[in-house]
Parts: sequence; C-alpha cells; structure tokens
Amino acid sequence: MILLFMLTGFSHAAVLAQDARQIKGKVTSNDGPLPGVSVLVKGTTTGTTTDSNGDYSLMVEASNASLVFTFVGYVSEEIPVEGRSTIDVLLVEDIATLSEVVVVGYGTQSKKNLASAITNVKPEEMNKGAITDVAQLLQGKIPGVNISASGDPNVKAAVIIRGASTLNSSQTPLYVIDGIIGADISIVAPDDIASIDILKDASATAIYGNRASNGVIMITTKRGKKGQTQVTYSSYVGVEKVSHRLKMMDANQLRSFLGESGLALSPADDLGANTDWQKTVEKKSAVSHNHNISFNGGTEHNTYSASVNYSYKDGILPKSSLSRVIARLAMDQYALNDKVKFGINLNYSTNNATNTPLRNNVLQQMIYRLPVSPVRDANGDYFENTTTGAYFNPMAMIDHAKDETKYTTFVGGFSTQVKLPFGLMYDINVSYQNENSLHGEAYDSYYSKTYGGVNFYNNPDPPAVHTLLNFGTNGTALRNTYQTTKKILETYITWDKDLGDHTINAVLGYSYQGSEVGDGFQVTSTNFAVDNIGYSNFVLSNPYAIPSYRINFGNDNTYYKTKLISDFFRVNYNYKDKYLLQGSVRRDGSSVFGANNQWGYFPSVGVAWRIIEEGFMTTQSIFTDLKLRGSYGVTGNSSGFNAYTAQFIMGSQGTFYYNGQQLAAYGPVQASNPNLRWEKTATTNIGVDFGLLDNKLSGSIELYNKNTTGMIASYAVNPALVSAGTIVANGGSINNKGIELSLNASPVKAGDFTWNTGINLAHNTNKITSLSNPLFNGGDSITYTRPEGQGQTGATLQIFKTGKPLGQFFTQHYAGQNEAGKSQYIDKNGNLTTQTGSDNYFYAGSPQPKLLMGWTNTFTYKNFTLNVFFRGVFGNKIFNATRADLFRPGTAQYTNVLAEVAGQQADARAYIYSSRFIESGSYVRLDNATLAYNFKLAGNYIKSLRLYTSVNNAFVITKYKGIDPEINQGGTALGVDSNNFYPKTRTFLLGINASF
Amino acid sequence: MKQIIYYIFIFSMAISLTACHDLDEPATTELTPDVFPQDSLQFLAVSGTAYAALRGNYSLDYWFMQTLSTDEAILPARGGNWYDNQNYMLLHYHTWTKDHGWTNGCWSWLARVIGTTNQAISILGEAQPDTDSQKKSTQAELKMIRALSYFMLMDLYGNIPLDTVYGDFTQHPTVERAKVFDFIEAEVKAAIPYLSTTTGTATYGRMTQYTAYALLAKMYLNAGIYAGTDRNNDCIAMCDKIISSGKFALEPRSTYLKMFYPNNGPTMKEFIFAIPYDPAATAFSGTNGYMYHARYDVPRSLKAKFSLPFTPSAPESTLPEFYAYFEDDANDIRNAQWLKGLQYLNDGVTPVTVTTTNLGYDFKYSGSDPSASYTYQVEITPDILLRYDPANFDLGNDEIAWNMGYRNIKFYPDASSTSRNQNNDVPVFRYSDIILMKAEAILRGGTPTLGDQALTLVNQLRANRTTSGDLGSVDLQYIYEERCREFVAEAWHRNDMIRFGTYEQSWGFKTDADPNKRIFPIPTTARTLNTQLQQNPGYQ
Repeated sequence: MILLFMLTGFSHAAVLAQDARQIKGKVTSNDGPLPGVSVLVKGTTTGTTTDSNGDYSLMVEASNASLVFTFVGYVSEEIPVEGRSTIDVLLVEDIATLSEVVVVGYGTQSKKNLASAITNVKPEEMNKGAITDVAQLLQGKIPGVNISASGDPNVKAAVIIRGASTLNSSQTPLYVIDGIIGADISIVAPDDIASIDILKDASATAIYGNRASNGVIMITTKRGKKGQTQVTYSSYVGVEKVSHRLKMMDANQLRSFLGESGLALSPADDLGANTDWQKTVEKKSAVSHNHNISFNGGTEHNTYSASVNYSYKDGILPKSSLSRVIARLAMDQYALNDKVKFGINLNYSTNNATNTPLRNNVLQQMIYRLPVSPVRDANGDYFENTTTGAYFNPMAMIDHAKDETKYTTFVGGFSTQVKLPFGLMYDINVSYQNENSLHGEAYDSYYSKTYGGVNFYNNPDPPAVHTLLNFGTNGTALRNTYQTTKKILETYITWDKDLGDHTINAVLGYSYQGSEVGDGFQVTSTNFAVDNIGYSNFVLSNPYAIPSYRINFGNDNTYYKTKLISDFFRVNYNYKDKYLLQGSVRRDGSSVFGANNQWGYFPSVGVAWRIIEEGFMTTQSIFTDLKLRGSYGVTGNSSGFNAYTAQFIMGSQGTFYYNGQQLAAYGPVQASNPNLRWEKTATTNIGVDFGLLDNKLSGSIELYNKNTTGMIASYAVNPALVSAGTIVANGGSINNKGIELSLNASPVKAGDFTWNTGINLAHNTNKITSLSNPLFNGGDSITYTRPEGQGQTGATLQIFKTGKPLGQFFTQHYAGQNEAGKSQYIDKNGNLTTQTGSDNYFYAGSPQPKLLMGWTNTFTYKNFTLNVFFRGVFGNKIFNATRADLFRPGTAQYTNVLAEVAGQQADARAYIYSSRFIESGSYVRLDNATLAYNFKLAGNYIKSLRLYTSVNNAFVITKYKGIDPEINQGGTALGVDSNNFYPKTRTFLLGINASF
Repeated sequence: MKQIIYYIFIFSMAISLTACHDLDEPATTELTPDVFPQDSLQFLAVSGTAYAALRGNYSLDYWFMQTLSTDEAILPARGGNWYDNQNYMLLHYHTWTKDHGWTNGCWSWLARVIGTTNQAISILGEAQPDTDSQKKSTQAELKMIRALSYFMLMDLYGNIPLDTVYGDFTQHPTVERAKVFDFIEAEVKAAIPYLSTTTGTATYGRMTQYTAYALLAKMYLNAGIYAGTDRNNDCIAMCDKIISSGKFALEPRSTYLKMFYPNNGPTMKEFIFAIPYDPAATAFSGTNGYMYHARYDVPRSLKAKFSLPFTPSAPESTLPEFYAYFEDDANDIRNAQWLKGLQYLNDGVTPVTVTTTNLGYDFKYSGSDPSASYTYQVEITPDILLRYDPANFDLGNDEIAWNMGYRNIKFYPDASSTSRNQNNDVPVFRYSDIILMKAEAILRGGTPTLGDQALTLVNQLRANRTTSGDLGSVDLQYIYEERCREFVAEAWHRNDMIRFGTYEQSWGFKTDADPNKRIFPIPTTARTLNTQLQQNPGYQ
C-alpha cells in the first residue's frame, strides 16, 4: 500500500516538472525575517518553509496560482503569483488569536464559536522548570484549577477542577491524549505537547459521560506538517536546593531550654554532638536534567513526528528520584486521493522510580531526633537509642533499605479517517494501553535487629491509624508486579455542512472499552542469607524457619475486569457566526454498576451569542469581541472503586481454631448493591468572552454552579445489618459554586519592548449538602484524619458534615494559656478547661482556598524574553499537626522541639491538636522567572536557537509556620501538614531549545 | 438524497457490526455465591467467620471496658503518653460519654459479630442442603455465638436493638434489657438440643451444650440486675448440668497458673468455653484479634526477664484497693500472678537494674547534677499517684511513675511472639466460675442440690488454690473476694461489682456514684447508623 502511494507520488512530481517555474522570496515580520513559515501553493500540497533568514523558494505549476503563507500567531496571507518570480511578504501578528482551534471530544472547534467553557494552553504558556508531571505544567495557569504539587518526584500533583465534587477517592480529571480516552499521562513528555485544552463546563465534558465529572484535560502532542522538516533538540539542567526548613532547636538551645525546664538529657542520647538532622538527611542539592530530540516532517501524502525523551528528576531526599525514557512515533498517511487518512500513534514510557525508604518515617525522624546525638557513634556504626519509643536514626533507615518501582506504559493507537461525500467524515480509532509495574522493597538485617522489637509504627499519608511494621528476621523483602490493559474501539461519523448563513456540525458515535486491571501478584519473604540481596533473589531467603512469619500476598480484589460501552451524539448549529447552539447526549453503560443501573444518559446543551456580530455593535469601537455563553449539562463519575463493588463478594475473613488447627474463614467482605450507579454532576455555566481596545485587553468571566448528587461513598452501615460495616452506595450531594476571571493585556508595546500580562482569579465555595443514603444514613458527622501523635491516639482533625465544606476542621477550641502558662480550651458548655477530649470539638475553619490566583508577565526586548509568574492561594487554613507534635516542652529531653518552644516550659500539653495549630495557608509565590534569549542566526544549519535560565520558587510570602504552605489539596484529608512534608526546593535551571 | 441514505445505511451497518452493547462482566476470580460455599469444608469456612469475628476484640476493647471501669485496673497517662483522647481516664472516673473511644469500639465490634453471624446463618441456610446432617448443629452454634454477643451487649449497654435476620435493613428500635434477656434465653434454649456434648480438641473454642448452660447460669445469676427477677434456682440448675456431666474439673493448685500460659489449650480441664488466641492467626477484618496483656502490664525494664522480643509499654496496673484481696492468705497460689516489689531476673538473684539520670528517675529531682547517671534496681510500688498533672490523669514520665502499680501477669508473657500478640487462650467460662456461681446462688436464696452447700463448694475450690485449709463458714462478701482472686484479668469484675453493689463505691481517684453508670451510653456512631435507638437514662 505504502509503495503504491510512493509510486503515485513520484509520477505526480514528474508531471510538475514539465512546466514549472521557480518563485523565490523573503518572509518578514515587524521584528525581522521569519523562519519556519509554511508556504503552500493554494489548492495543492506543494509547499516549503522559509529558512532561518526567512527565505524560500519553490516550484509553481501554473502562473495563475496563489501562494498561502501561514505561521502560528500570524495572520495568514494569500498572494496571487501573477507571473512574478519574486514575492516578498510581511506577515502581521494575529493579536486577536480568535481563529484558534480548540480540541474537544471527538473533534475540534474554533475558539470563537465555542458555546462551552474551554481553556486552551499553549506550550509557551506552560510552567517552566524541572517538571516531569504534566499537571505541574498547568499549575496556576487556568482559573478554577487547583493544583497542589509535592516535592517528591514520585508523587503526582493533586488536580481539582472547580472544587471537589466527590468524597470518593478519585478526584482526578479524565485525561484524553491524542483522542485516546483515559490514557496514562506518564507517556507524554512535556516537550512533545502541542497544546492542552481543559474542558470545564458540562457542555464540553458531557460527551465523555460518566467519566467526565472531574473535568477533562485534552492533551495534543506535536504532529508533523506537510513540507516542513524539523529536528528539534531541547534540554535543561536544573539544580534544586531546599528552600526552607523547620527551625528546630540546636544542641545549645536545647541544653539551655532543658536547663531552664529542670529536664535532663539521658547520657544514652547526649554524645555531645550538634547535629542538624534536617540538613543531614536532605541532600545539599539535587540535579535534574532532561533531553528531548524530535523529528517532525511530512511529504505530500504523509506526515510524521517522532521523539525520544530522557529525563532524570532528582529528589532532595536521598534515594529519591525518577528517571524516565519516553519514545513516541506518530504517523499520518493519506490514501485514495487523500480521501482516507490513516494514523499510527505509538508511545512507550519506561520509568524507574526510587523512593526514600519509609519516607514518611524518615521525614518524621529527621525533625524529632535530638541534636545532641550524632549520626554515627565512635565505632562508625549508626547511633541508635531505641529505648526511647518511636525514635530511630533516619540515616540508618535510608542506608539499610531500598524501595523502587519500575513501571512501563505502552499506548498504541491506529486511526482511520475517511472523507465521504456530502460533508460526511467517518472515523474509526482503536487503541491499546498496557501498564506494567514492578515494585520491590527490602529492609535488611539491621532493621530486624535494631527495630524488630521496639514497636516501629508506620506514618501513613493521609494520616490514619498507625500500624506496627514487622521487619522479620535477618531482613525482609516485598515484591509485586501488576499489569493493566485497556482496549478501546471508538467509531464516529461527522457531518459538516455549510448552508449559507447556517452551519451545522454533527457527530454520532460509539465507544467500547474493555479493561483488565491488577493482573499480577505480590510476595514477601524474610530470613535472608546476606544483606545485599535486597528483593532481587527470594530464593536466598528462608521464611520457613520463622514459624510466626506470614507471607503477604497483598489484597484480595486486586484483579478485575470492566467494560464501558457508550453511544454519543453532538450537534452544533451556527447562524451567521452570531448565534451558536450546541447539544450533546451520551448514553453510557458500565459493568461496574449495579445490575439495575448500568445504563445512563448524560445530556448537555450550550448556547452562545456573539454580540460583537450584531449590527448595533458596528457603531462602537471599544469592543473588538463580545460573546455571551450559557450551558447546562450532566456528567458522571464512575471511577475510584473496584469493579465488583456492586456485587456480593465473599473473601478471606481471618482464621479460626478448628480441631487443633487454624483454618481459613471465608465470608462476606462486600455487600451487594444492585442499585449502585454513577455520581451525577449537573453543571450550569454562564460565561462572557470579551476583547477590548483592539484586543489590547481580552478575557473571560465564568460563573458556575456544580451540583453533584448520588455521591458514591463507602457509607458506614450498621455492622449488625451488613457485617462488612460499610457499603458502597450513592447518597450524599455536594455543591460547588464559583466565579472565574481571566484577563490578558498588552499594556506596553513601544519599539522593541513589549509587555504582555495575564491574570486569572478563581473563587469557589464548596459545601457538602447531604451525606445520607435512603437506606443507610451513616455518612454524616464522621470524624477522620488521625495523625496519632504520641499520647493523641483517637484524636481526629476533620469531619464530614452536611452544610460544611469537604475537609472541615473539627478540633479543640484553643483559648490561650492560663495564668500558669498552660494551654486552655473552651469546653462544650463554654467554660475554660485544661482537659481535652473529643466532646469539646468545634468547627475550626476550612482547608479550601477562597481565592486562587495566577499572574503571568512576559517582557520582550529585542531578542530577550523575560517571563515572571506569580501564583497565589488565599483564604485557606492548614492544620499544622507537625508543629503541634513538635511543641512538647515536657519531653524535650527525648525528642527535639521547635525553637519557638523556648520559654514555653509550663505548657507541657501544648501539643494537643487544637485550633492553636490551625494556621492561615495563604501565600504568594514567585513561582517562576525565566529569562530567554533567541539567537538570530545566519546560515542554513540552525533554524532557531533559544537559551534560557529559570528560577522556580524564588520566594514565597506567607505567614504559615510550617515548611511550606503548599499542602496537598486533594483527597478528603486535604490541608493537613502531618509529619510527612517532603521538603520544598528552589530550582535554578539552564535550558536550550534548538531546531535544525 | 439517495446517496445520503446509502451512506447512512453503510454507517449504520458499520456501527451495528462493531457495536456490542453487552456489559456482562462476571467476577471469575472472587468467591461469588455461584461458586461458594458448596461442600461441607466450605460450609465450615463460612461458619468460621463468626468465630474469627468473636475472637476479634474480646481481649482488648471488651477487656478494657469490663476491667478499667472497676477497681481492678487503671491505665493513667505518663507525661502525656497514654492520654489518648481521655480513652482510659474516662473509664476510671466513670465519666465516659457517648463519644468515648472504647464505648464506640466495643459496640461496633459486637454489632459486627452479630451481623457476621446473621449473614453466615443466611448464607448457610440457603447453601447448605437440609439433608446435610451438620446443618442443624451449625445453625445452632451460630445462634449461640450471636446469643453470647447479645449477652455482652446487654451486659454493657443494657437496652439494645435486636437485629436477627440478614437482609432486613430496617432500623430496629431499642429493646429494653429485660426483653433482651428473654430473647437470649429463648435463643440459647432453642440451640441446646443441636449442640455437641463432646469436649476436648474436637470442640475446643466452639459452642457446646456446656457453653450454653454456662451462659444461662451467668444470666440467671444476674437476672435481678438484667431483668428485675432473681432466678437463683435456675442458675443452680444450669450449674448442675455442667457439674453432673463430669466432663470438667478444677485445676489443682500446682497447675492453676499454667491454665493461663501461652501454651494453654484443649487440655485445660476448667475451660468450658475459651477463645483460642494465636499470634499466627489472621484477624477478621475490622477487628484486631489482639491478645496484648503483656504489652499493657509488663514494665519496659522487665523485657529481658520475660525474654520478650518486643518492648512492652506497661501503662496498666491494679489499684491498692483491689490488691488488698490478695494479702490475707500467703499460701494462695493466685498471689503469684502479680509483679510487685523489687525485681530480679528469673534466676531469682540478679537484680533488674535501669540506668537513667537523676531527673530521669524522678522528674521532681532538685539536687545537683540532674543529668548525672543514676542506676537503680526496679521496684514496683503499690500506689498510683497523679503527681505530674492530676487534671489530665498523669503520673509523669519518669522511672518512678513507670514503676507505679502492681502488674497482673496471669496471661503470662509470650516470649515467642514477635508481634506482641500472645498465644494464651482466653477463657470466657471456667469450671471454677460454675462452682462459685452455684455457691453464690445458694447464698442468695437458691435451693442446694446434689449435696452441695455454698461452704462445700467454696472449700472445694480453696482446696485447689491454697494450702491454708477449709473455711468454717462462708458469706456473700467472701464469695465476692474469692471471685476477685479467681477471675482477675478475665473481664468479669465489672459484672461482679454491679451484682454485689460495689460499683458505686470510690476507688483510686473515682468518686462518681451515679447508678446510671451501670450501663454504658449508646455510642454516637451506633445512633447515627440506627436513628431508632434511644439513649440510656442519665446520658445525653
């Protein structure tokens, strides 16, 4: 087939040569020559691109032909040849950028004719830095998208679009990568992204039905262009340093504090050292680098784009890093007189994630540990004093263990697009995704010997009941490997019809997805012959010699299969580019739901009125664009729980004594719920898009009201009725209301200097409106988040409560210190007390921000570009449980305390979790400043060259007393800083982009 | 137009060829009702869930509730450690509330055992064919587990709902204690004919006829408290069923202590029903399965003495008021279950010493050089003093505080377990309880039978516990004290105190005398899940 096309291509070229003439010219902009401009003979696929001097030359068949000059960000020009042999062109910058196209579900739409709320982000607008996580590219850039990132290279940023709409664990938006629904974002290298579109309102997302409630993020990767060949290399090196540490007492401060307190260090701890444990554990600097090489191009009947990316992201804690290789190939091949387009998309990503062993315990120990203790004793061995409970040497913990995960993802897609008569187009896409993970953990004999008998608890994140870790005998290791495959078939027919003033676009389609999840196993062992085996050779272990040892096979219900089947339809109607109407409906079926509720309909409607096109607007000169939009639609959320959740399942339920043996008991682990259905989110959105003063100022305002009902949650059920004690059911509802504003302006454009600025602001109010289920009413007033600080078992920090936001803090009411200097609290009767207990808890603020801000500035002077990006979060509270647990003046001889504890001797119980430790989480961060230089290059070798240097997290303005106010905003235990904050860093980066 | 129709036809063909709308995705890798349970081993595995659940929190939540609310034990804070949201303090002061941790935990555990049993009854009722010879006895055993759970709920909380049929998700209202009593009695009586009369390994840890008689005896002895009517003769009749079976006997003085050792089991002659604990057993999900006595009672400094592979925490001890019951008779073997005074290693001569600092030994130390090293021999002292922070139930975090209070080591520390979980099986009903219950019922006005008098029964027990010889007379007060000596750490003391009217007395730091505290409040979580439940009198 390909051979056939090559043959026809050659014969076509031969015809051309017969009476062709050459045309030359130079393409310039106001700034000088423009390289890379596409020059095409109209109505043909003959074309070329301008070189680094803006020059081009090409053969034209007929003298009455026209040339079309196009370049991203510039107004296209169409110029008739009219017998000339030299045509020079000046391209004008397209300020309005209204002709942009955005990617929507099963198609694209022109931005100006959108009836829904979609934000498009171009690569140049995305965050710069040593970033491997796609979500971090968008942090602060889109109004209404709350992204909180961890410093850990292996923890994904939490992304919440327009407020949490579920208590269910899965709040992450749906990613659609090059049309492949639900693809894993680890396959995308940031350098390969052509654009990202964030679908926010229901008229945009409803086409994805029961997977769209958390919003949809469409990622489009770079494709080749016909007649343009380009090799691009981009690279950076970034150096990170810890930006802030907790101010713990040093040895001298601690000694004088203990002296004043009448406390004394144990000789077993006090070896006269002065160790800064945070500095000791943290690396001095972490060096990350990234290399990306890509080839793009196309001939008359095909285009291609291929790239290889290597990135290494170093963590600031030892043994913490992510290295990744991504290889990508995208090809489009036209056939049958270009009526048929075949596409192949292959993406492969292999990742090697190494984690700091027992990371959260290391983070806890590195602040608890006394400065007077050294890392190693006089013999050079790690210094330990395990007679103090929960007190371990973090350097030893890191050194004697390893924790690594290798994971690979392959995504392959094959698409066929057939142009049919009457404006019809038929698409059929098949894709296959395969994810493999191989995880290993090993704790050597040091752990067994040193920590084996001294009650080593884990430190879970989010905070929950701590469990005792068992390090076996002579080392212990764990290994697991799981595979997930997804097969998708999507087919749809599109009808595009232009009938004078009326334009109609309609899509009708079908989608099938079959998934097989969690195919694999886990095994653990202990009693290894030597220490250096790690988890790599279980044969050299002998667990049978340890009678009490039990191999851990992991969790039941890990393996499952699901099917998702859908039919969808969308129609867009456009009258004179003035009145726009869109309607869509998706019928979704999912095997994970109860037998009674597998199928559902998700409709949406959107209308827009481009006021600017009205006759009465022609008389004014203020507005260059004005559009009013309104939409309503229903989406669903079906992710985040096991596939067989709706079914009655029995499983392993412990063991019981029978006739001298422990037999396995098997019984119900899950109750059936044949009525289980998707969560339903109905969103109303009203938006205004405007451009003012020649589009010097443009922007959008969005108002939305998002109501989620039938929220899927694991409801507590009277265990006397259902022994599992919980049932996954639809019940509660949650509401998010908000307003978003984005403004872009070009305030200064003088000579060689321009200043472009954009600000986005978003306010969201989140409220749980109900937490009951018709059958089971156990959802309300549940308290949760248990950091389990010493002596604080059972104390909780947050509550699920109708009428309150998700994450509502609920704790003791701190009322200052009494005359004796002791913390006192207000009890339920309004009296002051020094006693504490959950009886006296009160509502103490919300972790959800009132305002999110992103402010971007681009200054251009000649070839220099300076980007300055500020990001702000305002009005949220953080429960600083870390600070509470470091506020222990009474036991400072056993574990270190904050420097601010000085003078607080009397307040021995200051550490009790209370509103004293609820702090403002507001901050403004200079998130990124990048200075770039674009070289104007002579010669034909290098088309463009850009060098840049960048600083991330230059400074942060906050009153927050923890390490950094950027505390996780995802999940239900949001806004809690609890002894496990991965240090935040400041990054300096040097980068290069070159194309040849 | 024709062509449009043609293309729509082509498209529809394409859609209908590929478009499958079958969502069926059966679970083939799980235990679904299609495949399980189908044979007698699988039926056994299903009924086993009820036993696994029962083992759940008996030795932790239930033990704390029944013990820390009495003068038998106290678990105070040590410099903020073990304050734990007032969980232990409220039990001591009798100031618990509906939000109290153990009050909640114990209720939900028992509700879970009941739910598990109901569901097992339902599954087996459908799956097990009526021709199965085991069916009736399995159902009877399950109903006994449920009856015992209802008994524990009734004993702790008084007025409780009765959920007995799986699949009935309506909220059942509170049933008053006397009616709950009737329900349990009827259930147990109905189960008896189908329960086994075999003892020994084959039925160890399982419900037999004798378990049923013991439970009924316990209920009848307390019938005045539970239902307002004394039923001493019924109690005696149930005790007699066990006594005359001849299948049980008192352990002699020489083996009394061994009855509670980590290697105890089916050969214990006194065990009528015991819960078999095993560190290698896996817990029923949602329960803990912990048998943790050494963790709570053995001082850290004695880790080596008991060769413990873990560091015990040691916050729990008895109070001097309770220990006083052990002081009269030096020949009583039961005195040996206490750790007190100066401590030596097991050789009896090597002192157990601890090296600390002057301040580490005594936080009140005000002499010179507070951080100088100080070594002392561990001495466990009888008194509990809130010398650090009385308002917060705190003894302090120094060596003096950690050595306060005599420690019970009846469930002798298990040196073989790395997980703190001990191998000691925990008896619920013992033969000595039958003997003492019968004696008490006679003293309370019941008619003597089988030639037994209260005095002969008590002397029968004394002969196996002390070398001090027979008593000449016995009264209820003596029975009470004998029960304190015999059943310490076995979760019966609260039940005894209430029956003997001592529960409103003052001990330790507790002065509360509110008789409403004889039952616990219905926990908030339970009332959230079942809005029909009434709160118990005296609680908000």
